[in-house]
Amino acid sequence: MKCQFQQNDACVNISGEFTFADHTAFREVANRLFQAKDHTIVVELSQLQFIDSAGLGMLLIARDEASKAGRALVLSQPQGQVKRMFTVSKFDELFTIQA
Amino acid sequence: MFGLNRAVSAAVVAEVPGRPEMPSLGNDLRHDPHIDLLQSWMSLAEMQQRVIRTLIAEIQDTSGFVEKEADDLSGRFQRLALSAQQQTGRVESLTHLAASIEVEDRPVPIEEIAGLLKDTLGDVVAKILMLSKDSMAMVYALNEVSANIVNVEKCMAKLDQVNSTTNMLALNARIEAERAGVAGVTFRVVADEVRELSKATQALSVTMKEDLKAVIDGIGTSNTTLHRVATIDLSDNILAKDRLEVLLAAMVQRGGVLENIVAEAVKEAGLISADVDGMITGLQFQDRARQRLEHVVDALSVIGEALEENKRTTASVAPQLLELAPADLGWVAGLLDRFTMSEMRARFAAELLRGTPDAETHRHASPDDAKGSIELF
Repeated sequence: MKCQFQQNDACVNISGEFTFADHTAFREVANRLFQAKDHTIVVELSQLQFIDSAGLGMLLIARDEASKAGRALVLSQPQGQVKRMFTVSKFDELFTIQA
Repeated sequence: MFGLNRAVSAAVVAEVPGRPEMPSLGNDLRHDPHIDLLQSWMSLAEMQQRVIRTLIAEIQDTSGFVEKEADDLSGRFQRLALSAQQQTGRVESLTHLAASIEVEDRPVPIEEIAGLLKDTLGDVVAKILMLSKDSMAMVYALNEVSANIVNVEKCMAKLDQVNSTTNMLALNARIEAERAGVAGVTFRVVADEVRELSKATQALSVTMKEDLKAVIDGIGTSNTTLHRVATIDLSDNILAKDRLEVLLAAMVQRGGVLENIVAEAVKEAGLISADVDGMITGLQFQDRARQRLEHVVDALSVIGEALEENKRTTASVAPQLLELAPADLGWVAGLLDRFTMSEMRARFAAELLRGTPDAETHRHASPDDAKGSIELF
C-alpha cells in the first residue's frame, strides 16, 4: 500500500493493495487524517487495486473513530475488486461513497 | 346392351306396318321376335337380380367394414385422449417442480429459497466484517499494550537503578555509623532499616520482573494467534456472496422460463385433448352412414323383390319364357371391367355367373380386410 496526502492532510490517496500487512501504516495514516482541521476526511481509492477483509475492518474502525470525533469519512472512487467488495459488504449503507 | 339390340331389331322388323298382330304364344314362339325380346328382358332381370344381391352383399360388407374400422379408430382415439389427459397431468406436475422444491414434505418456492440464501449470505458477510473489524481493533489494542509494556520495562530498569543506589547509601551509612562509635548507634539502626527496605524493594522488583515477563509472553502468544486470525483473508468469501447471488438470480430466471414453457406445454396438451375429443365425436359418422346404407339396401331389396315378382308373374302367364336367353357375357365383362379392385371384380364375376351369393368370397370374415388393407391401383 502507498499513501499520498493532499489538501492539508484531510485527503489521502491510497494505491496498490490494502491488506492486514498495512495495519501499522494505516494506523499512522488515520491518526494523521484525524489531526486535520477539516470536517470531512476523504480516502481516495481510485488507484487501489485490492482490499482484503482486514482492510475492510480497518476502514470500519476508522469510520467509528471519525464518528466519535464528529467527523465524516468519505470513500472516493473505488474501482474493480474494491468496488465489488464495497457493494457486497453494503458499504454504501455505512459510508458516503463518491463514485 | 345385354342382347337387347338384337332382340329390339327383330321386334322392329316384326312390327313393320301391315304386319299381322302379335304372334300368339304357341309351339313356334321360340322364333317370335317379341318372345326373344321378352326372354332377353327376363334374362336381364335375372342378371339385375344377381347384381342387386351382389351389391347388397357388397354394401353390407362395406358398411360392416366401415363400422368396424370406425370403432377401431374411435377406440384408438379414446386411448389417445386418455394418454393426452395423462400427459397434461404430468406436464402440469412439472409446473410445480419448476417453481418449487420439496423440503420436509412442504413445497418451497425457488424464489423463497433464493431470498433465504441471499439473507443468509448477507448475514455471513456482515459477520465477516464484524470479525475483521474486531480483529483489527484487538490488533491495535495489543500494539498499544506492547508499547505500554516497553514503558513499564524502562520503569523497572530505573527502579533497579534507584534500588541499587539506595542499597549503596545504606551501606555507606552503616560504615559511617561504625566510625562514629556509640554516637552512631541510632544512625546504624536507620542504616540497617534502609538496607532491609532496599532488599525488600529488590525482591519486589524481581517478582515484578518475573510477572511482567509472564505478561509479555502471554501477550506475545495472543498477538501471534490474533495475527494468524486477522491475516486470514475472507475477501473471497465475501465475493462468494456476489457470485452466489448471480447464480441464484440465474436459477430463478431459469425457473421462470421453465415455468412458462411448461405452461405453454399444458396449454398445447389441452388443445390436443380437445382435438382428440372432437375427432372421437366426428367418428360417430358411421352410425349415420350405416343407416343410409341400410336404406339403400332396403331399396335395392325392394327392387330385387319387384323383379322377382315380375318374373314369377311372367312365368305364370308364359311358362315357356322361363327358358332364358343366354347371359350376355360381354355385358358382364363390361361391368366387371369398371371395377379396379381385383378381389371385388372376382367376387362379382363368381356371383353373377353362378347366380347365388358366395359367403366365402365376402370380406367380413377376412382378418386382412379387418386390418383395413388397401389395394393400390
